[in-house]
Amino acid sequence: MSDNLCEERRLVVVKEEVQGGEKMEEHRTVNFMRLLSDESTHSTLSEDSCEYYQTEIFDQLPSIQACRPGQCTQGFLEVCEAKQDNTEPGEKLRNRHLSRGSRDKEPMQPLRNLALCIQAKRSARIQRKMQISNIGFWESWRRSQSINRRRVWEQMGGALSGILPWQHMLHAIEGRFGVGVKAYFVFLRYLIYLNLLHCALVWGFILGPTVFHGRSNGSEPLRFGGNDSILDFFLGKGYVDRSPVFYGFYTRGSLNLSCLNTPLLYLTGILTILFLSLIMVVRRTTVGFKHRWMLGKRYSMNVSYKIFCGWDFTILDPAAATLKHSFIRNDLKLFLEEQSFSLREAQRTLGQKVRLYLLRLILNVLVLSLLGGAFYLIFYATETSLYESGHHWLVSLFLQYLAPITIAFVNLLLPHVFRKISSFEDYSFTMQVNTTLVRSIFLKLASLGIYLFFLFKTTKERQQRHCRENQFGREVYKLCIFNFLATFCTAFLLNYPRKLVQEKYPTSLLSRLSGKQHFLIPFNVLDLVYSQTVSWVGIYYCPLLPLIGTVTLVATFYIKKFTVLRCCVAEDRMFRASTSSVLFHFMLLLGLIMAATTVGVDLYQQDATLNRMCSCGPFGNGETVFNVAGVCVNSLPRLARSTLSYLASEAFALPLILAEIIILTSYVSRGRANQKAIERLKDMLVMSSSDKRFLVKQHTTLLRRRRDKCRARAEAVGEDSVVSG
Amino acid sequence: MSSSAHLKLTSNSYHSNSCFFSLQELTFLTKQEILLAHKRFTELLSKEEKDLPNTRVSMERILSLPELKSNPFRERICHVFSTSAHQDGSLTFEDFLDLLSAFSDSATLEIKSHYAFRIFDFDDDGTLDCGDLEKLVNCLTGETDDTRLGPEEMRQLINNILEESDIDKDGTVNLSEFQHVISRSPDFVSSFKIVL
Repeated sequence: MSDNLCEERRLVVVKEEVQGGEKMEEHRTVNFMRLLSDESTHSTLSEDSCEYYQTEIFDQLPSIQACRPGQCTQGFLEVCEAKQDNTEPGEKLRNRHLSRGSRDKEPMQPLRNLALCIQAKRSARIQRKMQISNIGFWESWRRSQSINRRRVWEQMGGALSGILPWQHMLHAIEGRFGVGVKAYFVFLRYLIYLNLLHCALVWGFILGPTVFHGRSNGSEPLRFGGNDSILDFFLGKGYVDRSPVFYGFYTRGSLNLSCLNTPLLYLTGILTILFLSLIMVVRRTTVGFKHRWMLGKRYSMNVSYKIFCGWDFTILDPAAATLKHSFIRNDLKLFLEEQSFSLREAQRTLGQKVRLYLLRLILNVLVLSLLGGAFYLIFYATETSLYESGHHWLVSLFLQYLAPITIAFVNLLLPHVFRKISSFEDYSFTMQVNTTLVRSIFLKLASLGIYLFFLFKTTKERQQRHCRENQFGREVYKLCIFNFLATFCTAFLLNYPRKLVQEKYPTSLLSRLSGKQHFLIPFNVLDLVYSQTVSWVGIYYCPLLPLIGTVTLVATFYIKKFTVLRCCVAEDRMFRASTSSVLFHFMLLLGLIMAATTVGVDLYQQDATLNRMCSCGPFGNGETVFNVAGVCVNSLPRLARSTLSYLASEAFALPLILAEIIILTSYVSRGRANQKAIERLKDMLVMSSSDKRFLVKQHTTLLRRRRDKCRARAEAVGEDSVVSG
Repeated sequence: MSSSAHLKLTSNSYHSNSCFFSLQELTFLTKQEILLAHKRFTELLSKEEKDLPNTRVSMERILSLPELKSNPFRERICHVFSTSAHQDGSLTFEDFLDLLSAFSDSATLEIKSHYAFRIFDFDDDGTLDCGDLEKLVNCLTGETDDTRLGPEEMRQLINNILEESDIDKDGTVNLSEFQHVISRSPDFVSSFKIVL
């Protein structure tokens, strides 16, 4: 019996040697040390509690066998086992049985989903084949069909992803600048797709019918000539004003049924675009948000991600690998720093706290006053630019663009001021970035809102000679154009020369002052969100904005790529892809809501003030958005009309709200139940794991006690023999 | 001359349809990918080795592939996918296909996380303990002394990892806990990828 036990012990050692045969020398010595310490006489439980998973019984647990890496070397082990003839046969059987049990856990799984080597998969297939012949012809045919179908889908997916543009470029950018910058470019590409979709809708609903069915008889044909100049393309006047770019072009043509006419199509087109954008953006936001929520406080896995999913296995370039190393290191250091920061924060005294809060209050007041000043500046610029007339054309051009220039200037300057301010507020780094971002979002969207508000007011006050919608559209058009010009100019007149100066005269004062250029992802994303918001605001007044947007976005893509690859150095601090994209889409959602509100308010006001002096665009001759739809409904058959009026009434709204409440409640309660189940399962896991640990420990102590006894007996026998000898 | 004849022969044997079908069934690779893999693999073989049917390529030569060269886990990857009896990390062509299959685009999260776990389990004992985690972090931050984290930082970091992902509180991260973490990561599948 005692011999047997000792043999078993040796076998375990041999097995460990085989499995870790290639391990470094120090490991072997560690194993050896462990063996020695095991054999030395200590029987306290606490001492080996930390390494219970290194005991031999632990290796035989079914859960461990299931994920044992030694499955491929199973055969070799068995040979090895067979050589040691002294082992108990039961032991070997049990071993084999356990491993096989884990291997065939899910017989219906496709073979390639098994984590085995090919040889083992082959033998598994031979086993499977027998089963298939039992199942019959139909089932095997079905399986092979499903394999084929999946392959076809995979190939189609592969072909589709090959079509996606800029894949290679994105890969290169990611390799050099990390996931965050790539997320910016992916977002940019998404916006381009969105704008292309808008273009298709505009063509289908608005431009197409007008082209095929013509416009009203009173409208003059579109021709470039007379007083038109190239400058009009920047000002949105003259030729451009008469062109399909603006609202005024789309008058009621020969397509004049009561339910299929230009105004109705126009309205449907705009509403479809806004609604579709809403759905798409909300979907993207919620997908990201779900991840973020799952990563949230209760299941916080932040560090584990950084470690387990940290390395990007697609990196080929050694320089990129070095960069990635430094990314990860800086990220981890940042995390640790932040943790110790929160520790320090918890230890602040009352006096320090009071002083800090006072400082923050003052700084916030400063921020607010800066915002107020910016808004006044925008208001002033808007008024000036709207009332200008009779200057030299250059001055006039400047004055016309005064409001967009002011907005761009304010938006260029203030975020950097905010960044400086937030560094004084003693927040942690992430918090600093977030406060700056929130303030900048507020500034950007609010300045646009203020501009639009004053624009509305001033255009309404002036009983205009011409089309009011066109005038509004023109302002938005100018904003769009200017936005793009600003991007272009900052890239080629600011960033590139800066880089050139740094390259040519690296020691000069100027280059030392300007420092290295980083690609500030939040601010760049803000720019994109802003331009997309402008595009949404203006789409009612200027239906070709999506086309302009697509062109400028594609150009922006290349400009930004140039800036990033040529002028910028990689950021020391990384921006995680999943969290940042949620933020981007959330900002986009805010912009969309603002745009929809603007258009809605404007339409409502149009309806309220019926005494419109001039008529232009689809809704002329006293028609408004609301009565056009009314005319269409009235022309429908009785049944449809009554259904529509029921759908629009309060009698329908009440059941709808009730149904929504019921569905929401059921989802919320299901979510809560799932949460509770998760908690309970976690508790169970902890419990069963502690049971396992306890049993393993008991088993080892039992074993050791027996071994001690056997050794004592052996020693006694030895002493006896010595005595007798 | 003989080597080119042999190349034709081996590629013929891999061109045979049934063989392709079985390899396609057993891995996540497409026909083109298997062909490319075979081409790259035979480039690693020397002339006389090409004549032998089931040759192993030593770990050093596998590591000379540009796809693995700058990967800090390259040696672990070879060891995990090697079926060699001597545990020297050498790969046969089928092992090589196994490797590419696990790292391919279409491999499931389950497979990917399983192999990731085995790659990170440096001492092959079935769990990620403190030693494994320390080596893992060192691989991530860079192996030299000035890039490594300090001992205090390392301790704090490992405590954080265990606090988050060691659900059953036994001081180690086992496979299911690891997969639990991985399954919540949106970025894992896209980054755990090696394409020839």
